[in-house]
Amino acid sequence: MSQKTILYVEDNEFNRKIIRQLLAQTSYRLREAHDGESGVRAAQDELPDLILMDVQLPKMSGLEATQRLRADPRTAAVPIIIITSYAMDGDAQKANDAGATAYLAKPYSPRHLLAKIREIVPEA
Amino acid sequence: MSWVAQVRAPVQRKLLVAFLLITLLFIAMGAFSLFTIREMSRQSELLDRAHQRLERAQEIHHSLAMQMHLTAMALLVRDEAAVASVLRENNRFNEALAQLEAAVEDPERVVIQKVRAGQEEAMVIVADIANLVRDGKIAAATQLHASREDPLYRSIDARVAEMVQRENAGMVSLRDGLRAAQQRSLVVMASFAAISVLLALGGGFVISWALIRPVYAAHGLLNELAGGRFGGTVTVPNRDEFGELAARLSATSRELARLDAEQRCAAQELGALNAKLEQASKAKSEFLANMSHELRTPLNAILGFTEMLSDGLYGPVPAQYKEPLADIQTNGRHLLRLINDVLDLSKIEAGRMELAMEEYSAQEVVGMVRASLRSLAEEKGLDFKVEVDPGLPEVLRGDAKRIMQCLLNLAGNALKFTKRGGVTIRAARDGDCVRYSVSDTGIGIPTDQLAEVFAEFRQVDATVTREFGGTGLGLSITKKFVEMHGGRIWVESRLNEGSAFHFTIPLRSEIASTV
Repeated sequence: MSQKTILYVEDNEFNRKIIRQLLAQTSYRLREAHDGESGVRAAQDELPDLILMDVQLPKMSGLEATQRLRADPRTAAVPIIIITSYAMDGDAQKANDAGATAYLAKPYSPRHLLAKIREIVPEA
Repeated sequence: MSWVAQVRAPVQRKLLVAFLLITLLFIAMGAFSLFTIREMSRQSELLDRAHQRLERAQEIHHSLAMQMHLTAMALLVRDEAAVASVLRENNRFNEALAQLEAAVEDPERVVIQKVRAGQEEAMVIVADIANLVRDGKIAAATQLHASREDPLYRSIDARVAEMVQRENAGMVSLRDGLRAAQQRSLVVMASFAAISVLLALGGGFVISWALIRPVYAAHGLLNELAGGRFGGTVTVPNRDEFGELAARLSATSRELARLDAEQRCAAQELGALNAKLEQASKAKSEFLANMSHELRTPLNAILGFTEMLSDGLYGPVPAQYKEPLADIQTNGRHLLRLINDVLDLSKIEAGRMELAMEEYSAQEVVGMVRASLRSLAEEKGLDFKVEVDPGLPEVLRGDAKRIMQCLLNLAGNALKFTKRGGVTIRAARDGDCVRYSVSDTGIGIPTDQLAEVFAEFRQVDATVTREFGGTGLGLSITKKFVEMHGGRIWVESRLNEGSAFHFTIPLRSEIASTV
């Protein structure tokens, strides 16, 4: 089995660093994007095996980016985990409506996130 | 007809004048009747007297005829005694004549005096005739009778007959006059009565119309006011109390219109203010949400790095680093709880917190609370039990997530404030409610501070916060969630023996979403 690619769309450098270091221990290949628009572009170019999508992003929100990717036949089937720090009621519902595969609220436990990733896309 | 209304006088005076007018009319009618009755009785008295005069005159006439007849009889029977009858008849004649004379007017008296003079002359002749009869000189007596007495009697008789005729005519005219007067007074009385009735009816109509018209007008305006149409006025010609009433009504209506306009203006201002407030409240909510995001992002990094460090992701962790790393994690989670509590409370206060009512099982909720806190209890060496009354329905209604949050707050506090002994969570039926109780064997709460435990940012004592931690918001949020469910919360406590917090959730909970 070939190496699995994960795209992480997040504007905060420290949060990117956590995932970078977390996945460095694994066989997953990580691609990063800093805002919604470049996230959508990267997803369309790379066609990753999994996308981790933050909600509060510059240029385009994570929810909108998710909807775009769902509308595109090439990326419609790619699993997307939405990560939000917006702890308002109904966020999970919004993520679900946008077409997310899973939903995670910040602060998340890196251990749990990794378990979730492995559950959706088993390592090669 | 409006002239009655326009008269500048009180209604009472107008009514008095009208009634006085009618009363005066009746008094006049009564006076006229009295006068008529008196006139009638005077007339009938006159008639009565005339009748007596006629009777006297007829008596005189009759007596005269008797005298003539008796004289003729005396001559025929040649008896002097018969002449005495003439004298007796003469007495009757004189008596009647005197009565008649007393009853008549002057012109008639002259005639009566002439009759009396004639009668006296006749009596002298009768005396002569009587003497002649006594002496047996019948022929001379007869001659005297024929030549003197008979013509004299005839002339008296003619006079008396004329008198009788005159009296008769006078009586007839009196009777006719009386009848005409009766007729006249009847007409006058009827006219009086008719005019009085017409006047009373007319007056009543005019006055009542002058009073009713403003009442109708006022009624119309009051209807408008009742219908919420203010500002209309009522104009009546009245210059009396009704005119004043109409003026007051109009003023009231104008005042109402002014107040209404003011109120509308105020309502509009309030509406604008409300919109601004709503905007401000929305801005506040957005600010809080943003703040929450801004705080969680670095917190996520802190907790993430700490966890990875503890998990040995960066290499083996030296033993002496393990405790500080655990402390960082504990405090990071505490900070997260604080952020969550502040966010919850602000949402509740902004009325944006809504309960998600669903069916749930008390057994499950209580079990999850125990699972979440078991490690804490074990760490402190405390006995941690949950008991669910078997009589409790298996399926309950409520926002399970929030009820769990309440129990987590209460049980978390209980574990925090208990150093030895244990904490028990119970769920049991309490009338139409399910009652959750969390009891501990902890430090307890002083009686004078029991009332304040549910207030925001309150803990029994500032030193408690330092020793045991906690946001001071948990109980306040718990109380609000319970009240949103339509339940109530209370506490029983004995210092140094322990506390018991109870809250109820109605079994058929379908309540308002905001407190």
